[in-house]
Amino acid sequence: MNNTAIQTNNLVKTIPQAGRDLQILRGISLHIDKGESVAITGMSGSGKSTLLGLLAGLDLPTSGTVQLFGQSLDGLDEDQRAALRLGKVGFVFQSFHLLENLTALENVMLPLELNPPTHPGLPPQGGREQRAREALQQVGLGERLSHFPNQLSGGEQQRVALARAFVTRPQILFADEPTGNLDRATGHEISDLLFALQEQVQTTLVLVTHDETLAARCQRHYRMEEGRLA
Amino acid sequence: MKHLLLHWQQRWRMPELRLLLLALMVSVTVVTTVGFFTSRVENAMQAQARQLLGGDLVLSSARPLDQTYLQRAQQLGLATAETITFPSMVSGGDKLQLSQLKVVSRTYPLQGELKTAVVPGAAEQVVSGQLPASGEIWAEARLFAELGVQPGAQVQLGKSTFTLARVLTQEPDRSSNLFQLAPVVLMNLEDLPATGLLTPASRASFNQLFAGEGNAVKQLKTALTPLLKPTERIRTLDEDLSSVQQTLQRSGRFLGLATLLSVVLAGAAVVLTSTSLMRRELPGVAVLKAMGMSRRQVLQDQAFSLLLTALLAAVIGIGLGLLLQFVLAAWLSQFVGKDLPAPSLLPALNGLLTAVVLLLGFALPQLLRLVDTSPMQILQGALQRPRQSVWVMLASLLLAVFGLLWLQASDLKLAAMLLAGLLVGIGLFWALARLALRLMQTLGRKWQSRWLPSLGRSRRAVLLVVVFATGLFSLLLLTTVRTDLLDRWQEALPADAPDHFLINIQPTEVNALEQFFAERKIKTRLYPMVRGRLVAVNGQPLDPDKFENPRAQRLAEREFNLSSFAELPVSNALLQGQWFERGVTGFSIEKGIGETLGFGMGDQLTFDIAGQRLTDTVSSVREVRWDSMQPNFFVIAAPGSLGEMPSTFITSIHLGEQKLLVTELIRQFPSVTAIDVGAIVGQVRSLVGQVSMAVQGIFVFTLIAGVVVLVAALQSQKAERRREIAILKSLGAGRAELQRRIWGEFLLLGGLAGLLAGLLALTAGNLFGYYLFDLDLKLNLLPLLIGGVAGSVLVGVTGYWNLRGLLDVPPMSLLKA
Repeated sequence: MNNTAIQTNNLVKTIPQAGRDLQILRGISLHIDKGESVAITGMSGSGKSTLLGLLAGLDLPTSGTVQLFGQSLDGLDEDQRAALRLGKVGFVFQSFHLLENLTALENVMLPLELNPPTHPGLPPQGGREQRAREALQQVGLGERLSHFPNQLSGGEQQRVALARAFVTRPQILFADEPTGNLDRATGHEISDLLFALQEQVQTTLVLVTHDETLAARCQRHYRMEEGRLA
Repeated sequence: MKHLLLHWQQRWRMPELRLLLLALMVSVTVVTTVGFFTSRVENAMQAQARQLLGGDLVLSSARPLDQTYLQRAQQLGLATAETITFPSMVSGGDKLQLSQLKVVSRTYPLQGELKTAVVPGAAEQVVSGQLPASGEIWAEARLFAELGVQPGAQVQLGKSTFTLARVLTQEPDRSSNLFQLAPVVLMNLEDLPATGLLTPASRASFNQLFAGEGNAVKQLKTALTPLLKPTERIRTLDEDLSSVQQTLQRSGRFLGLATLLSVVLAGAAVVLTSTSLMRRELPGVAVLKAMGMSRRQVLQDQAFSLLLTALLAAVIGIGLGLLLQFVLAAWLSQFVGKDLPAPSLLPALNGLLTAVVLLLGFALPQLLRLVDTSPMQILQGALQRPRQSVWVMLASLLLAVFGLLWLQASDLKLAAMLLAGLLVGIGLFWALARLALRLMQTLGRKWQSRWLPSLGRSRRAVLLVVVFATGLFSLLLLTTVRTDLLDRWQEALPADAPDHFLINIQPTEVNALEQFFAERKIKTRLYPMVRGRLVAVNGQPLDPDKFENPRAQRLAEREFNLSSFAELPVSNALLQGQWFERGVTGFSIEKGIGETLGFGMGDQLTFDIAGQRLTDTVSSVREVRWDSMQPNFFVIAAPGSLGEMPSTFITSIHLGEQKLLVTELIRQFPSVTAIDVGAIVGQVRSLVGQVSMAVQGIFVFTLIAGVVVLVAALQSQKAERRREIAILKSLGAGRAELQRRIWGEFLLLGGLAGLLAGLLALTAGNLFGYYLFDLDLKLNLLPLLIGGVAGSVLVGVTGYWNLRGLLDVPPMSLLKA
């Protein structure tokens, strides 16, 4: 059985800027196993987030290949890539990105609703709300189900985001500076929660951060400098 | 489906979606209210006109009509009646009198009612289902006076003797020959052959009247049209417009204008709100796409949400429209004298279409951009709106605006003109706003103001001024045009507007009649009148058949009332040439008749007046206010030029409560015919009142639409404002300082927008008034003042109200949201 979650080969990404091509990624090859936790660190502008986007299939490389769950993303259009992520990939962002007009519970329900009713690994339609409630209870927000994001603190918002990311029990979780907008103490709480959930669900974790302490908690650590893995 | 509905409910929590619904609802309500209302009024007008015509459709000919037409109509299930009219002498006692004999079949009249009186001057009664019995005739009071007989007298018509049984006071189709000189005599068709009066040489008019279900009437008209012989023609409802109809038509145009402006304003609100909505949804869509949502799902979700909003707005709007038109119609039914016919359903469809076009053109392109949102953006921090060609956006906007204008105006050329006007207006506002704001920057620097220069620099200020100015412009335009229109109507129909026409006044009676009026302090002016037919233009004989327009054909066939006098009546305005002062001679013509029959200044006209020819050139063109209730003439000849032509005189007088004076007058001047137009005057006056109320009702909608635009514009900048206030607060700005800034900004921008709007409304109002409503140009600086003050207050209050919530929130939470 194939144990590879992500595999890239010589990834290059250039974007046109001021009439010239700016090379952001300069040939990245990496390999991440299923259930592994991997940190990608680097300075601002080193290309971490761009790499994360390519690994998740949010964007396509200028050259090189990405394989997600053993399938090459090469030649897939946006919708085909989205279908590949559906139900199998979770995200946690630096600025939480909860939907303002939805309650905590509704935000967590979102990824469940995107999946067809018969999706394997997800509860049937009637049980989905219960799953979302449990996810919020797990992150300690069982009493704040009907609160809107602007009624929650930053730490609480990121907990909702974690519940939202793990509610589908994804195979891979991509986290982009998950503690970047939080104070140190709250940041610790969130990272504890993140790793606890990861272990529980046995999710592959790809974590982008410039926080070395956080990176140190991962099993492996890639460092980026000027678009290359150091 | 359940999910889509749930998502819509969740979106409903955003003020932008509620604002979008409000904007759509306002436009649907105004479109349907006006639509339902005008459709009912139009139906009522048609019903009224049918009564005047005596049927739904009338076929007239100078020769006996073909029986195949009749059979055709009967096959279609239509009711038919026949009338034959021709002049004939009646002898009674020892006198002879020329009469207009009207011979009618048993089924006459198909529409409207006959009214008679037992003796001349007695109260009239409706006679339904009755006609003169065999051996009887009914005649107008004038015949009794001329012959010196009473009801029951025996009179001779051709070879037959008849009993003059009743006084005929009204028959439905009389108005088409209001000024006919001979009194009408009504006779049963069965009695006609025995009289031996009708011969092939008789100058008779044969009419076949048809009435029945609308579609069958239309079918008949379509079937008959190609079969008609040159001497036959179909008379329809819209050939001649009465004063009431003219007033209604004018008010319909005004309501249309108000509707258009409301819809365009609502459109602006839709653009603004959907832009904010898109901005608000952007991060969510990016996150969802990262989670695996497909483009199709995004599209489905957004399209469903929009369509549901449009549908909801349409249903509520149509419901409100139906309700409101009932109120309007209740006012109007007083004047129509009976319930208005039911409205057609077309306006409801129109309302739905308006909502859909507004969304498709204004909101959908914005939301489609969401479909193209890259999920990658969510990792890049700054969320950018997906790029879309400006041209695509612009084209879609223009197309939608044009579609709406077309939908409302139902006139391609007018819609194109309005669109061009709108674009020029917005461009002008943009340019003027930039100019004014730049001036503000310069002045601000000079006065060392802290915030004036930055206000003048901001692009947001330009947008706000343009949006406010457009909204205020619509309101001001409506106010000025409305005020002008009402003033003009009131002027046209003062309380002492004439209520009786006196016709058939003999030249020998003029002095005595003038004295009669002078003694009773009744102001009036007698106009000579001769009847003549236009026979040649520039020496070329006039052929009625060469005109395609039925109205032109009829005008070319019929006799006109010509007059001749020295003083231009107040209800006339000279458009071209010179009036008959300082020795000017020739004809003065009414603008419309010249346009219809194709002649104008300098053309030579020849009239046949009782066998004598009168030729002269057109020396002036007049505009005539037909609703003035004054005697008006298509053609007026220079004083003295009618010479010895056989003429009678005509005048109109205001009697008000002294109605009995008519009886006295007729007793002294038996040959004079008095026509009571008081009823029509009353109708027009009360109608003006009702319509002005209706207009005010619609005006309220435009105001609401204007405020919705304001709020939409403010809402679209709220996030930016939120951040700005947070920064200012964190820098130490107090509540009072922020309040001052907000008030200052909105009062100033509102005032500026109001001034610009006033300036443009003044210009446009004059142009509209001049071209659409026949009003004179005038410089009224009031709109500038009203615009400035109203703009300041309206924008100041709305702006402060919209942002006041942000003042109490701590700066941290402002940054967080």
